[in-house]
Amino acid sequence: MSFFDTLRQKAPFLDKLADTFTPTLTRDEKFRLKYKLPANENILDDTNAEVSFATPNGNGKEHSDMTNKGRKTAYVFSGRLFLTPHFLVFRDAFDHSSCVLILNISTIKRVERSPSESYEFALLVTLYSGAKVLIQFIGIRYRSEQFCNKLKSNLKQNIPNAKALTAFLETSYSEFLIAKNILGKKDITVPRAGLGQHFKYPGNPTMAKEKAKLRLWFDYFRQNGRNLAVVQTPMFRKLIRIGVPNRMRGEIWELCSGAMYLRYANVGEYEKILIDNAGKTSQAIDEIEKDLKRSLPEYSAYQTEEGIQRLRNVLTAYSWKNPDVGYCQAMNIVVAGFLIFMSEEQAFWCLCNLCDIYVPGYYSKTMYGTLLDQRVFESFVEDRMPVLWEYIVQHDIQISVVSLPWFLSLFSTSMPLEYAVRIMDIFFMNGSITLFQVALAVLKINADDILQADDDGMFIAIIKHYFQTLGQSAHPDSSDIKYRQITKFQELLVTAFKEFSVITEEMAMQARHKYEKGIFQNIETFMKRTQLRHMPKTFNLSSDNLSNIYDMFYQSIETYKISMGTGSSNMGFEVFIQFLSKFCDSCRPFEKENDPAFRKQKRNFLQRLFDNWDSAHIGELTLNDVVTGLDKLLTVDLLQAINYFFSLYDTDGDGELHREEVLQLSEGLLLLTEPWKSGRYVDLLTKKCIEDDIAENIIKENGEEIVTMNQIELPTGVTIDEEKYKAEQAERYLKAASNFLQRSFEYAKAVELAEEINLIDLSDDEDEENHAAKLKRLESIRANPALDPTHPKVIDLATFRMIILADETYELFFSNTLRSSIHVDEHINVNNKNKVLRSMFDGILADGKRVAEQVRRRVDSVATRNSITSAESTPTAAASSTTTKEEKYDDLDDFTSDHQSEHEELLQSSWFEIDDANETNAMQERPFEPLSANTSEKKSNLIEFEA
Amino acid sequence: MNTSITSIKLVLLGEAAVGKSSVVLRFVSNDFAENKEPTIGAAFLTQRVTINEHTVKFEIWDTAGQERFASLAPMYYRNAQAALVVYDVTKPQSFIKARHWVKELHEQASKDIIIALVGNKIDMLQEDGERKVAREEGEKLAEENGLLFFETSAKTGENVNNVFLGIGEKIPLKNAEEQNNANNERESNNQRVDLNAANNGASANSGCSC
Repeated sequence: MSFFDTLRQKAPFLDKLADTFTPTLTRDEKFRLKYKLPANENILDDTNAEVSFATPNGNGKEHSDMTNKGRKTAYVFSGRLFLTPHFLVFRDAFDHSSCVLILNISTIKRVERSPSESYEFALLVTLYSGAKVLIQFIGIRYRSEQFCNKLKSNLKQNIPNAKALTAFLETSYSEFLIAKNILGKKDITVPRAGLGQHFKYPGNPTMAKEKAKLRLWFDYFRQNGRNLAVVQTPMFRKLIRIGVPNRMRGEIWELCSGAMYLRYANVGEYEKILIDNAGKTSQAIDEIEKDLKRSLPEYSAYQTEEGIQRLRNVLTAYSWKNPDVGYCQAMNIVVAGFLIFMSEEQAFWCLCNLCDIYVPGYYSKTMYGTLLDQRVFESFVEDRMPVLWEYIVQHDIQISVVSLPWFLSLFSTSMPLEYAVRIMDIFFMNGSITLFQVALAVLKINADDILQADDDGMFIAIIKHYFQTLGQSAHPDSSDIKYRQITKFQELLVTAFKEFSVITEEMAMQARHKYEKGIFQNIETFMKRTQLRHMPKTFNLSSDNLSNIYDMFYQSIETYKISMGTGSSNMGFEVFIQFLSKFCDSCRPFEKENDPAFRKQKRNFLQRLFDNWDSAHIGELTLNDVVTGLDKLLTVDLLQAINYFFSLYDTDGDGELHREEVLQLSEGLLLLTEPWKSGRYVDLLTKKCIEDDIAENIIKENGEEIVTMNQIELPTGVTIDEEKYKAEQAERYLKAASNFLQRSFEYAKAVELAEEINLIDLSDDEDEENHAAKLKRLESIRANPALDPTHPKVIDLATFRMIILADETYELFFSNTLRSSIHVDEHINVNNKNKVLRSMFDGILADGKRVAEQVRRRVDSVATRNSITSAESTPTAAASSTTTKEEKYDDLDDFTSDHQSEHEELLQSSWFEIDDANETNAMQERPFEPLSANTSEKKSNLIEFEA
Repeated sequence: MNTSITSIKLVLLGEAAVGKSSVVLRFVSNDFAENKEPTIGAAFLTQRVTINEHTVKFEIWDTAGQERFASLAPMYYRNAQAALVVYDVTKPQSFIKARHWVKELHEQASKDIIIALVGNKIDMLQEDGERKVAREEGEKLAEENGLLFFETSAKTGENVNNVFLGIGEKIPLKNAEEQNNANNERESNNQRVDLNAANNGASANSGCSC
């Protein structure tokens, strides 16, 4: 455990501190990111080593005109060597960039122990190209042996992969260059590459000194290796800065981005995706189709079916590979750019790494990465060019209007393509920080002009003009001819990569972390607003309710990230149960849950509800489904509520419930009413009863003295005999349930049957005695109308209604109890796990006002009658009037043993106060405390949403 | 005064590939490009027209149509005085999207924003395209929400200018006059229109209330 972790355990406040730090990546993650290795390349071992390289010269195949220095002696680099499942990576110890070897072990032809002059342990690795790598291990011999053994076993496991090497190298332009110029092969075919091969590359090849550049790269490849086994030296980076020749560009992009490693590790995957998804449609496919002809339309290849088809293939393949992203406008332009220099497969893997490693979140469904980086960019502008920033802010100019497309399309919609690809050369080498550096340089170079602009229009015009004249001299009026020859583009590169090299990836990461929260919040607010607006019309849900439901819905679906737009936003059954338990009293988990029969009943009912709400019949609910469903459940119309409950069980929609359905319905009713039956909640009938009793008590104690409300003094230490009410209520519910069943079958109407089923005939038992027994049993079954199989009965909606309305408890249940037990109006706070569950007392306290009113009513009537004799029945509530708080506490504790703490709180804050509450005000306010705290919280949240 | 100039900030919204940029291109340059690159983020263009001897300068924000760019839209319709909500008469889905935009504007944009509903691509009806959104549907939506309504073809240019003229006429005169005062001051020193100054018209006036 790190020092910091230990500290954190001791001091929880450090958690807060840790939040402000950039999230740390693991060593493996950092390593993979740095060398752009595929996801499964973890470091298996690493060691200090000295490495030297020898090129395959003097092996007899001498070539004609090369100025070969025949490197018999080579540089020896000292550094660290890493082994991953498929790679050997070496980097120089002192300057990480002076020498980096990235070697896919498929390129290794043989490994031998090298005769070493010293006691040291050395390996000589021979590559497919004939190049040799000499590795001298530094350190304990035993460890070096270990490393070698791991390498050996990796090599063995890799044998199947290595077979793909030859075919893979045939797609490599660097191999082609070597084969053509060193091995002198004349008949070799040019590897299939980008559209530029046939449709010309952008820009002027003579001006770009293509041939000279190719020669430089050729020399580099010869000396330092290439593609899957390459040593990157400062020269490598310099050649990239000079500008990669068009023919090499695809391979260099692929190499720098690590897409080459992905392609090699996933041979055939691209074709497979295309074949597997052929003919399928999706929203992404539609969107792609709209944009195919709108991607670099001026480039000739994209006016042909061939070019369009390649673009279509790559974009659709990616949309299938990463459905969370799918397709985002600007990808079409970026990929169209790729395809000029790369084959489809190369472009596909390059796009994968672009989206995953380089600019994560840029093209996501919410574009959070884009929004975040625009904010980061603004902070850099503010930081580096304060005068310009102040001016921009003052004139209300939106920087992102111009800069957003730069980042999103890697400058390819803003600059002429020949320059944009040069930026991309460096981008793939140095990462996304390149975009910031270039963008800052553009503003810096144009700062003087921008300071004259006073609206967005002029600002945009200045930048547009600048990009269109990138090829022109940066200093046309200079007397110095050399100075005059410097183009604006060269000036841009120098400014971006010299002056703004101070802007580092780490700075960007830190800034991203800083602004992330705000950006995510904005996105979530926007998404919420949009989605709430597109809700189905509701009759019983207010916009506040909808807002709460939205929050609870997405809180429940943990896999869905609103701000990132990843994951499915639909709700499965299990999540649905969790979701309802957040705000429906009937669905909250409690002890009885341990009873498997009860649990099964509950699941049955919820499944019924779930299926009823699942409008698309996909086994998942959308937010709209949930809203529509809740809206029906929460109807204020008694008859509608009854109808809806009926329809839940009338699955075939014939307007009649058969015996089995009636039984299930009664089970459902039992389940729904369980919280009241078990006394965890009170319904209005009980509440009224309690209120009456309290009022009665008050009047009794105060006698005639009470004339106005202000004089009401609640008796000290009033307590309620909960057990009594609990028992009464439970009895009432049980009675309602049994009445329901009884009446159901009493009033059910018989189904006309074609012929009476003779159960006796079905029996093949000839035995007399048995026969008689059966008959008897049948008689007893028949005697119970509910079970009589010979007379199937059904109840229709009208009968059902009548039965419900005939029972005070059930009528109230549908008109009020159920509805008020679904708390869509309360904002659920995730952090507050001890959310107050509504219990008997909770309800009464919150309704202290009603008690007061009750008292007032009584007082009034007392006043008119001028006598108090009416208190004939001494309320049991007051009878057990206790004096110590302790006892009261215990009493309550017994009643709701599962939520002690809340009640403790409630008691202290309210009942307490009643002791000396002279003013009704105090009495009214106190009980509301827990609620008002809640509403204020909701308010503050709403404000945030608006902001 | 005939020389006064009113600036109108106008924003275009609508589903991808309904022809928002093309409508603007037709209006600004009287031009048409068959396969225009999609707008990334937003584009900004201006055009001056004379309406009733009054010069109106349109500052046009043309936004990206794809759904996921929608979260950027508020940045552009902020302070907008007018909006074109564009759909494609051959694509019913684009009409649904237009409804959403109208709703969003009513809820989020400035209160007195003038909105024009524009059914584009009517030229396709002459060719092999089939009309999928009836003219009456558009008219109904416009009527219900108090919008101007036009059917246009950016390709042929049909009705495009009328959209902008219609909006220019609808911009409240009072507002325009206020702006003119502010603009006139500017105009004397500087031949350009400053939206910012227009927004702060009141303070600019008080600064020079002679």
